[in-house]
Amino acid sequence: MKEVVVHPERCVGCMQCMIACATAHSKAKSLFAATLESPLPKPRVHVGVGQYDEGFPNRCRHCDPAPCLLACLPGAISRDLSTNTVLIDPDRCINCATCAMVCPFGVLRYHEEGSAPPGKTVAVKCDNCIGRQEAGLAPACVEVCKSGALTFEELSEAMRRKTNEISRTVSVAAEPQDLSPGFSLLNTMKKSLIQVRTG
Amino acid sequence: MAYVIIGNGVAGVSAAESIRQLDRDGRIVMIGDETEIPYCRPMISLVLEGAIPADRLTMRADNFYETMGIEPVLGRRVDAIDVAQKTVRVGGDTEIPYTKLLIASGADPRPITADGLNLKNIFFMRTQAQVRDMLQVLPDARRALVLGGGLVGFKAAYGLLRRGLNVTMLIRSGYPLSMQADETAGGIILQELRRKGLDVKVGTEAVAFGGNGAVREAHLFDGDRTPCDMVVIGKGVLPALSFVPRERIEIDLGIVIDRHMRTSAEDVYAAGDVAEGVDVARKTRWVNAIWPEAVTQGRLAGINMAGRPVSGEGSLGRNVIRIFDLDILTGGVVTPPDNDGYDVFQTFDGSRNTYRKLVFQGDRLVGVVLVNDIEQGGVFLSVMSSKTPVTASREGLLSRKFNYKQLLK
Ligand SMILES: Cc1cc2nc3c(=O)[nH]c(=O)nc-3n(C[C@H](O)[C@H](O)[C@H](O)COP(=O)(O)OP(=O)(O)OC[C@H]3O[C@@H](n4cnc5c(N)ncnc54)[C@H](O)[C@@H]3O)c2cc1C
Repeated sequence: MKEVVVHPERCVGCMQCMIACATAHSKAKSLFAATLESPLPKPRVHVGVGQYDEGFPNRCRHCDPAPCLLACLPGAISRDLSTNTVLIDPDRCINCATCAMVCPFGVLRYHEEGSAPPGKTVAVKCDNCIGRQEAGLAPACVEVCKSGALTFEELSEAMRRKTNEISRTVSVAAEPQDLSPGFSLLNTMKKSLIQVRTG
Repeated sequence: MAYVIIGNGVAGVSAAESIRQLDRDGRIVMIGDETEIPYCRPMISLVLEGAIPADRLTMRADNFYETMGIEPVLGRRVDAIDVAQKTVRVGGDTEIPYTKLLIASGADPRPITADGLNLKNIFFMRTQAQVRDMLQVLPDARRALVLGGGLVGFKAAYGLLRRGLNVTMLIRSGYPLSMQADETAGGIILQELRRKGLDVKVGTEAVAFGGNGAVREAHLFDGDRTPCDMVVIGKGVLPALSFVPRERIEIDLGIVIDRHMRTSAEDVYAAGDVAEGVDVARKTRWVNAIWPEAVTQGRLAGINMAGRPVSGEGSLGRNVIRIFDLDILTGGVVTPPDNDGYDVFQTFDGSRNTYRKLVFQGDRLVGVVLVNDIEQGGVFLSVMSSKTPVTASREGLLSRKFNYKQLLK
């Protein structure tokens, strides 16, 4: 099973994933038509800004066990086992915000939504683009990400790669190795800019 | 192996499910006073309000007991536990033996003392049955009185207001939600309640009720009288443990539990509103009678009862509630004693009507109050419950741009 893997050190904060996400969750599935829809489609991935202006694509982790799933009062949250996705049923949701209270990552938002009953405010978060996956497509945020901060792959494969990368750096003889030098440079620049600005 | 669970609320249900995951064959007996299919207690006020029908309250399928292989004993009360013989007595006569026992009997509404409480149309709001009774009198009721400004009091008042009644709330403290919110947030909430048409009287109490058969008026502490056709008492809850032998099982306010949900008696566990564990923010034992805690404790109890020693990180008092156009999220120590060692950071934005307050003890976050912009509240609370030191700038935390990344290096 492929899953979305986040590589925060590679995020440049371009927010393309947010736009792609909102579009993928619109009725029209095209950016320009989506902007005319009501309710206006909103992103379910949120690029946050770190202490030094570095970007961070904050996305539902689909935790297991998931605190939101366990705490949900009306039992509106469930797990789709075939894609390992924590899903919210907008019909059952009562907009009580208990999920926001227990989510350690702050990924929930509350608003009207195309897939919810008209006029109803519901809890909304990443659904791993489950519809796109059924059609053989990768989640929209991954497809659009140009910097490799979001990838869609077998978790075991991603872990093997990461293990290898790390193991190459732990030998005493090894030079400290930066796994993504370009991005580190960018983030260092951002950091020094802030430090210059704030003195 | 015989697991006996007292209470078929969410703590009991979560425990039963966890036991079943780990032990396919053990006998599970669940004894529950209420006969409905396990339901979501916090949602009963939505039935009062008319937002959902009662059949939407169920939290598990109709055949829950069957599919889980549970023997339900419903509509009966446990009246004694014999920890030496390892039996539970039900309905005065039947003895049920246990190998492992879970007490998940929840809480009962805190009673009040006042004259005239025997009059008709004075209600508590804890069970589905009580809401059904309230619905019966609604057609003839015009004025309702709600005692208490806590979460349940507000939900009752809101529901009755939505049903078209004139609603008066009597709150003994100076502001609503005084157990959850600090004074500033309380003031904002009070204003909102009044603006939306609730008649809220603070700093007062009912001392007597008058009427001929049914309640017609309340006499207040300051000599005032308030007419009413119905009364809802929402003055908090107390652990339901009248059947628990105090000399054998340690009780403080609730049943004292350790990190494995064990009580002081061997093979006896407790979870949910009836239990009292260590609160991570207060650093002392505390009863946190909230749904997410009941779920967590129920699961942990079940896992431990089935033989896996898993420990919890302690409980954390927290609440979230939407009050008309306000969203309120609070947790931990929101009004620290002003003598020792707390640092308070707060910000208020009048134009957006947001208020944010963070209480620190050194580098540990121990309290949070958010009025509106509550989406990141869970991040603060999880930092609190994991006792993670927070080095990020306090201004950053107070900013509405705050997000998870700011906690990372
Ligand atoms: C109106 C209302 C709104 C609420 N809103 C919220 C909210 O928004 N968020 C939140 O976190 N919490 C809320 N709560 C609190 C929440 O409902 C409780 O924390 C939760 O239900 C506790 O679950 P429990 O299983 O421990 O106990 P309970 O749900 O009380 O279940 C215990 C069961 O045991 C039975 N029982 C008790 N004694 C015996 C006996 N001797 N023999 C047999 N059976 C017995 C009881 O009848 C009951 O069915 C609300 C509560 C109410 C009443």
